[in-house]
Amino acid sequence: MISLRGVSLVYPNGTRALYDVDLEIEKGSFVFLVGHSGTGKSSLLKLLYREELPSSGQVVVDDIRVDTLRRGRVPKLRRNIGVVFQDFKLLSHKTVWENVAFALQVTGTRTKDVMRMVPRSLDLVGLSHKARVFPSELSGGEQQRAAIARALVGNPKILLCDEPTGNLDPSNTTEIMELLQRINIKGTTVVVATHNQAVVDRMRRRVVRLEHGRILHDDERGYYFRGLGQTALLPG
Amino acid sequence: MDWGRLRFFLGEVFTNFTRNAGMQFTAIGTVAVTIVLLGAFLFVRDTIATFGNGVLSQIEIAVYLKDDVDDAKARGLAATFAADPRIASATYVPRRDGLKRMKDVLGSDFDTSLLTANPLPNAYHVRVKDPDLVPAVARSIDRDPRVAKTDYAADTVQKLLKAATILGRAGVALIALLSISAAIVIANTIRLTVFARRREIAIMQLVGATNMYIRLPFIAEGMLAGLLGAALAIGVLTLAAYEVVPKLASTLAFVTFHVNTLTLCFELLAVGAAVGLIASWFSVGRHLRA
Repeated sequence: MISLRGVSLVYPNGTRALYDVDLEIEKGSFVFLVGHSGTGKSSLLKLLYREELPSSGQVVVDDIRVDTLRRGRVPKLRRNIGVVFQDFKLLSHKTVWENVAFALQVTGTRTKDVMRMVPRSLDLVGLSHKARVFPSELSGGEQQRAAIARALVGNPKILLCDEPTGNLDPSNTTEIMELLQRINIKGTTVVVATHNQAVVDRMRRRVVRLEHGRILHDDERGYYFRGLGQTALLPG
Repeated sequence: MDWGRLRFFLGEVFTNFTRNAGMQFTAIGTVAVTIVLLGAFLFVRDTIATFGNGVLSQIEIAVYLKDDVDDAKARGLAATFAADPRIASATYVPRRDGLKRMKDVLGSDFDTSLLTANPLPNAYHVRVKDPDLVPAVARSIDRDPRVAKTDYAADTVQKLLKAATILGRAGVALIALLSISAAIVIANTIRLTVFARRREIAIMQLVGATNMYIRLPFIAEGMLAGLLGAALAIGVLTLAAYEVVPKLASTLAFVTFHVNTLTLCFELLAVGAAVGLIASWFSVGRHLRA
């Protein structure tokens, strides 16, 4: 589903975000990208939805060569990828319903389909009763659920989450992680970039750890830190 | 037709438009001023053209025939003139009529008693359909063996034609400059709207909206500003046409107003819409590439 081969990313200002990264993610899997800030987690996600282009190497997402994709084809790629951020990125002057519908409307979906797809997505995240409410009247967890509803409303095959719980308290964090797990069980490939150790250690999913732009370790059913023997790598 | 989609689109345009109301008024005002000046220029040019054509159409070529060309031979020339498509009319003036005309024009200043014979040749007064062609027609008449000399107000014709050309060019340059400034104001307005909506645009790009789709509301907005500006200008021009021009006409006889009003309105609206379209197209395009 997702494949990176020898991928490096150097920003125009000379910052090296990723070095020679190889990564394969199977369809329907759930993967944590961990590491502290500035290790290239967000950069890696940006390569997948072509917000950034690799300086070298190959990026393939859902059989599409992203690194050589023509600009005109980018919208089609992104309709297959849902993206969720730490700051939710909801439009404050639109209601929850309108925010979710917006993703469909701007991609030219027929009104008939919008009316069918928006309630289904709101129902999935448990926000049907808040459809007519503005984001400012929602809790952080609810706002993130609205953002997830928007990311999923077009039935993407992949959901990318960049620090989805970074702004949430522990109980909302648990709620969001359970929601992401339910979404994954329904068949969506989920990639979560996070530095929340508690979440990662509780879920016991595949953990890819980045350090200074390189993959440090990649474990099935892993922990945030690989065993006690690796404590030497602890920051600070 | 999917009314829901149309309603969503129009809603987006309306929200855009009202968000920057102040700047929009500036843009609309600039377009209106440009188009009022365009309208005023068209009016002045039209008036001068009408006046000039009136003068030019009265210019006659005086064709003086050789002394040995008698009445019968001279009348033969009428067929030659009739065959020339450029010639509107040709009036034969025999020498005795010519003398009589001279007396009529000059009156008592002209004492014919001193003349022993009629000094005037037989002549034709030729009118040309297109004033531009006067010199050419005169030259071709000159080549006829029966013709001694042709004469016309060469200087006047040439000067008028030159003035009309220069005025036309200056007007085009002026209108071009004004249109560019109007376009720049609209482009700046759209850039502000784009900036105000950068979150929406980022989300649209994230969920896979095409650049064309992102562009469309802004372009509609630019065209709307252009159209409203043009409509305002048409209002001002109409007022001018019915209030100011009749007063001018009463003092300056040559001022007339005979523009095809409906066509002109459509043309001015089209100019406004085009300026708005071009301005917003480039303004949004720059943002989308960034």
